[in-house]
Amino acid sequence: MNIVVCVKQVPDTWAERTLRPEDSRLDRASVDGVINELDEYAIEEGLRLAEAHEGEVTILTMGPDKASESIRKALSMGADKAVHVIDDGLAGSDALQTSAVLAQVLGRIGFDLVILGAESTDARMGVMAAMLAERLGVPQVSLASKVEVDGTALRIHRQRDYGYDKVEASLPAVISVVEKINEPRYPSFKGIMAAKKKPVETVTLADTGLDAGQVGLAAAATEVVSFANRPPRQAGTVVKDEGDGGTKAAEFLAGQKFI
Amino acid sequence: MDFAEYPDRAAIRDTVAAITRSFGSSYYSAHAEGRIATDELWAALAKQGFVGINLPERFGGGGAGLAELALVCEETAAQGCPMLLLLVSSAISGEVIARYGSEAQQQTWLPQLASGETRIVFAITEPDAGSNTHQLSTTAVRDGEEWLLSGTKYYISGVDGAGAILVVARTGTDAQTGHGLLSLFLVPPDAPGLTAQPLPVAAALPEQQFTLFFDGVRVGADQLVGDENDGFTQVFHGLNPERITGAAICVGIGRYALARASAYARERDVWGVPIGAHQGVSHPLAKAAIEVELAALMTAKAAWLHDHGQPAGEASNMAKYAAAEAALAAVDAAIQTHGGNGLSAEYGLVPLWSVARLLRIAPVNREMILNYVAGHTLGLPRSY
Repeated sequence: MNIVVCVKQVPDTWAERTLRPEDSRLDRASVDGVINELDEYAIEEGLRLAEAHEGEVTILTMGPDKASESIRKALSMGADKAVHVIDDGLAGSDALQTSAVLAQVLGRIGFDLVILGAESTDARMGVMAAMLAERLGVPQVSLASKVEVDGTALRIHRQRDYGYDKVEASLPAVISVVEKINEPRYPSFKGIMAAKKKPVETVTLADTGLDAGQVGLAAAATEVVSFANRPPRQAGTVVKDEGDGGTKAAEFLAGQKFI
Repeated sequence: MDFAEYPDRAAIRDTVAAITRSFGSSYYSAHAEGRIATDELWAALAKQGFVGINLPERFGGGGAGLAELALVCEETAAQGCPMLLLLVSSAISGEVIARYGSEAQQQTWLPQLASGETRIVFAITEPDAGSNTHQLSTTAVRDGEEWLLSGTKYYISGVDGAGAILVVARTGTDAQTGHGLLSLFLVPPDAPGLTAQPLPVAAALPEQQFTLFFDGVRVGADQLVGDENDGFTQVFHGLNPERITGAAICVGIGRYALARASAYARERDVWGVPIGAHQGVSHPLAKAAIEVELAALMTAKAAWLHDHGQPAGEASNMAKYAAAEAALAAVDAAIQTHGGNGLSAEYGLVPLWSVARLLRIAPVNREMILNYVAGHTLGLPRSY
């Protein structure tokens, strides 16, 4: 089984993240880059499926030179090879443009299954799986908390507020995963050393066959018009226990959809 | 000269830090307070190949060097979980067995050390022979093809949970110098005639200390490591790794203490500004940061020399001295920065002070290092 996991490098989720005033783009230079958290779950699921079905896992990343750190980590976790789409002309691309680029590359390298994290911690659009599936003309099965593959049959549990739905599709397909699906592994020392020797193919904008005028900030379909800093944190809700504290706390949690 | 951090070193650091962070400094503090071995973290690190990173690949190790083992020691400590037994089991025992052990000993022990299944601890210190190894009085007396071990060892770390103890014993006397001739033996902790008695220490550590009483413990030729009477050379081979990893643990402790203290000093506000703005608070931290960084550089140099088969004694001693002093300065400044919280169980600084304070004494004390530098580096006469 040929599995491709799409990985995005994002600014460290725990660091202070800011937008650049000059072009309203995320300031990626001043913070460490890490693999988008949900993409680690996607990698793990890819590795598990590959182990169970004698498959191969390819990592697909679009990003600047720095994104090679994330590729390396994915390879050290056990992925077999990687494709790095890197081109200055892609800087500032929005989700639509990114999906166009990734779909072109996916079409060329071929796949049985494409796996993505359900959303990234930076843009938080959560649309890439849908866009890719649409462009590639294959089913999208989203928000998977469990994945089973049997021949070309694909069955997932889709995470819902009330539990899960069982969703079936056939391969080839695109899956997005949620964090409930597994526990991503740590790289092993041997994995770290092996990652150095694994093939990483570099793909430029010209290689994708897309026109330079279609991608990048200037041609983006979406635009950040303005932004404001998050307001300071509000005071918390105090539940005073008058014999019904438990009920009130439960009501609060239910109101916030925590339970 | 190249000071770049290679990607694989950065990856080792990141991964070891991530594994250790999933346990957290509170895990370490609680185990230290309870004198309970940090076996879960040991197993998690071993599973990913970090405990046996320096052991030969053909026995399941990582095939890397001391430089990489030092990274593991530093990063675990830098997350608030110093792993003292890495210094004993992976550095001394692992290096000595990998270098001098018989094929059968290597096949028996190295895969188990690499997988984290067991540890081998090291027994050299005696009540009447501390830093002076020539005075060791634990003897192994020939009895046909076997030996009978008798004597006492103390301050032996981690005997509980060890599969074997690497025991240094006197097997003869050099006719010319009168010094003891030493040999190394692998002894199971449950060997008949061996009693291990816990030795209570006030310093809160997860690694228990033991006094070992050998009363005619019978050991076979298959338990002798390397050649008979060649023990001094073999022990010597384990000393630099022990010092380098000890230094690395100290560097990690220093980094952890400074990170905690600066985070606290940036937030804590008593007179309208964060306390870190006061130089009485910031300067001791800044000074310790410089000392920790200098110690880290020397530790890296010592590991590099060792891994390249070059004389590493001077650099290892200097690194261990500098790192223990830097770690103590950093933890002390961090405790002072935290005020009363510095002594609280919650902030977990006191257990780290214990480890740093221990590493000023062991595996070689500060004064013996100064003696070494005075004698070897400066050519000064000895008083002993």
